Amino acid sequence: MNNKICDDILAFRELTKLKNTYVDALPLMINKKTGRVHTSYAQAVAVTGRLSSIDPNLQNIPVRTERGREIRKAFIPRSDEFVLMSADYSQIELRIVAAISGDANMCEAFKTGKDIHTATAAKVFNVEDAAVTKEMRYKAKSVNFGIIYGQGAFGLAENLGISRTEAKEIIDNYKKQFPNIQKYMDDTINFAKEHGYVETLMGRKRWLKDINSANFTVRGFAERNAINSPIQGSAADMIKLAMIKIHAAFKQQQFKSKMLLQVHDELVFDAHKDEIDIIKPMILQCMQTAMPLPHDVPTDAEVGTGVNWLAAH
Amino acid sequence: MQKKLFLLDAYALVFRAYYALIRNPRITSKGRNTNAQFGFTNTLIDLINNQKPTHMAVCFDTHAPTERHTDFADYKANRQETPEDISSAVPDIKRIIEAMNIPVVAIDGYEADDVIGALAKQAELSGYDVYMVTPDKDYGQLVSEHIKIYKPPYQGGVFEILGPKEVCEKWGIKNVSQVIDILGLMGDAVDNIPGIKGVGEKTAAKLLAEYETLENILANAANIKGAMGEKIKAGKEDAIMSKKLATIITDIPAAVFHEEDFRIKEMNKEAPKEVFDMLEFRALTKRLLGEDTGIVDKHNGSETAPSATENKKATADTGQLDLFGNVVAAAPSEVTTSVSSSEESFLSPQKNINNTLHNYILLNDEKAIQQFIDIAIRQTEICFDSETTGLDANDAELVGLSFSFKEGEAYYVPCPAEKNACLALLKKFQPLFDDEAKVWVGQNIKYDMLMLKWYGFELKGNTFDTMLAHYVIEPDGKRSMDALSAKYLGYEPVHIEELIGKKGKGQGNMRDVEIEKIKEYAAEDADITLQLKNILLPQLKTKAVEKVFYEVENPLVKVLADMEFEGIKIDESFLNDYSKLLETDAKKSEESVYEQAGVRFNLASPKQLGEVLFDKLQLDPKAKKPRRDSMQPVKTCWQSWR
Repeated sequence: MNNKICDDILAFRELTKLKNTYVDALPLMINKKTGRVHTSYAQAVAVTGRLSSIDPNLQNIPVRTERGREIRKAFIPRSDEFVLMSADYSQIELRIVAAISGDANMCEAFKTGKDIHTATAAKVFNVEDAAVTKEMRYKAKSVNFGIIYGQGAFGLAENLGISRTEAKEIIDNYKKQFPNIQKYMDDTINFAKEHGYVETLMGRKRWLKDINSANFTVRGFAERNAINSPIQGSAADMIKLAMIKIHAAFKQQQFKSKMLLQVHDELVFDAHKDEIDIIKPMILQCMQTAMPLPHDVPTDAEVGTGVNWLAAH
Repeated sequence: MQKKLFLLDAYALVFRAYYALIRNPRITSKGRNTNAQFGFTNTLIDLINNQKPTHMAVCFDTHAPTERHTDFADYKANRQETPEDISSAVPDIKRIIEAMNIPVVAIDGYEADDVIGALAKQAELSGYDVYMVTPDKDYGQLVSEHIKIYKPPYQGGVFEILGPKEVCEKWGIKNVSQVIDILGLMGDAVDNIPGIKGVGEKTAAKLLAEYETLENILANAANIKGAMGEKIKAGKEDAIMSKKLATIITDIPAAVFHEEDFRIKEMNKEAPKEVFDMLEFRALTKRLLGEDTGIVDKHNGSETAPSATENKKATADTGQLDLFGNVVAAAPSEVTTSVSSSEESFLSPQKNINNTLHNYILLNDEKAIQQFIDIAIRQTEICFDSETTGLDANDAELVGLSFSFKEGEAYYVPCPAEKNACLALLKKFQPLFDDEAKVWVGQNIKYDMLMLKWYGFELKGNTFDTMLAHYVIEPDGKRSMDALSAKYLGYEPVHIEELIGKKGKGQGNMRDVEIEKIKEYAAEDADITLQLKNILLPQLKTKAVEKVFYEVENPLVKVLADMEFEGIKIDESFLNDYSKLLETDAKKSEESVYEQAGVRFNLASPKQLGEVLFDKLQLDPKAKKPRRDSMQPVKTCWQSWR
């Protein structure tokens, strides 16, 4: 009964938020001249190097719930001659972790095209890939992402609803199996302590003035930023470089198709039906080669088309 | 009128303010973190404006050891070092308090809670309603009919007033005098007070329900069965000492409540301004002086700054933390650099258009324009800026163009309102715009490029965006043109409000501003931007960020301008239908909530929701992990409403 009332309250909240923030707001943003919505990109706001956007804020359009995802149905091609095309980097942040840490096991998993979370689970729980259960994969996934954000046993336990002892055991195993990940984290923090900054693969810097604070809470924030910034920032560098490449290629070929949106690790296009087969491989090629990763870690992207953004993704 | 005394627990509020903004810190152009000063001052002004105290004082701890330290060497020995940014904030905060004519009280050998307790008791006797402003639960022991805790709002919530009823409910005790018994039994990790090993809050409350006082529990230890009895016997001495440590000392000879000293006095509003200027608190200055806030112009790129609500959300993301900042870590959220446009920093630069030599030229006839173009065509680098009728480049008209290629010298060309006449004028500039060898310097030049695109023109050369240069040089600095100009040039540009008035309904249109004024304003923008470029360019090299600037950010400008120009088609009829569906479903959920609660209330009100969930339905808001615990959703939905 308690759960039911809480579920109802949360549902009420989600539904009204979706309605007010997106569903009712989007039509008001339609430009009178063009009948289209022109989002505005903020290129100099996020300290990590990521783009953000307003009116509408594309980053905020919910993707975690089915009702939220439905909103993407409202984004449609400009005419019957077009479809929407979506191209999305796959596991880009973890590939960057593998590449900049040079961890042999993780690099190997990507090079052999394995599902990274299954491969991680197999290592951490010491079983064959085929024997990895859903539960194991879920736990491994949580550790993988936790690492990016500098999460410890406490956070992992919280996330997975497991005991701290179990969480610690998982993390210890993880560190044993992927020894260079820990080394990367230590090295990065030491680098930051010495130089006062960390940087991405393209040399985007983030200065961390609190990295040597005597207060461990304050220092902890700076340390987590030290680990996370090069990862998020390099992912930002990569998609930005891909956009520049794609834009140049489209311009050169004078395509009718246009690049429209950038959100997280995804690019959205109005693709002319006659051009789909040409631009698909071109976009993938641009995305995959935009910023070659160290240790030959491959970059992968997926592309899809549809009658709206949801269908294309 | 009832006399209301507010006593502020300074350090507790300062720490809280600092940690509340730790993920989204306020950094001045000189690189100082001002979270503590900002949050504390806000609390102070909130109290004065909203609670209308008649009397007030701010109480600080001193460095001198207290009796508690002498009694128990480990007292507060677990404390972390104070963050450096807090230590350096305290002198500023004291200056602000003093400038606002509010007394500061600090007595060697006593902590702030002792001083507050002592003053509160005296004031109560003189007929005051006393509010102790603190997030610290230990103050519960002092609460009475006329002495209450005012717990300031946190993370977008509402403030709470805790009187005897609330305190007793919180701890599950009958009388507030039992707060120290509870603390003595269970200890207090924050202050390193041991308590009895193995006794927690619930056990302590249960024991007190039976035995009334800690002393009585100890005396009856022999009657308490099992392991608990053993624990109590073993922890007897610790318990007695812990209770003593937790007891706030209200008998302090040096703490004397003189009504007159504590009376709220007329504030000299200019005095705090000096400190605010140094800390770059623009909005606070205005708040204090009772003026409106809100300065936005396109050079801020502030159309891109997060809104106040988003900012509040960013703060709310900081997760749980206790008084002394033992933060429960969560994933770092995307951090944005500026707090909100109305919080844009400013310094008080010495130079401005009235005391600085400049040559700003109006180009208002065909001959003058042609002469200008003949000169401009020979420049390899031109600083360019457009004046328009609005912030949304997709929905604005050109009012004028300004250019500069020599510091201190700039040109302004007014654009006719009539579209074809404007196009004819722009056509004259086409050889400039089309020249692929030119470098166009601008502050947030994406906006100007987008404006031109709507008129069918394109800057074919390269660009150099000063906003982006600063972004890679100092990712977490402020970079509105005003901020950059103040920081790098010591120069305060003409404010747009001087031309079109303050933001809001009454704001005018650039189109209606007299030409001489707009010329000075617009030409100055181009001039300043050029000067900024000359300063930022070498810094790209010294900071070793040329690669990311020239290979990533700078070339991306044209890409984004094209994407923004394209826009995307939206299916309005789908959204209309979906809106109705969501409304129906929301209504269903809402009705279901009322049905289960057995009462109709305003579901959108966190206060009413809290009353229903926790008072009426008796759900436990502090339900502990693990996450899949049945109480977790309650916690989640409660938090999501705050």
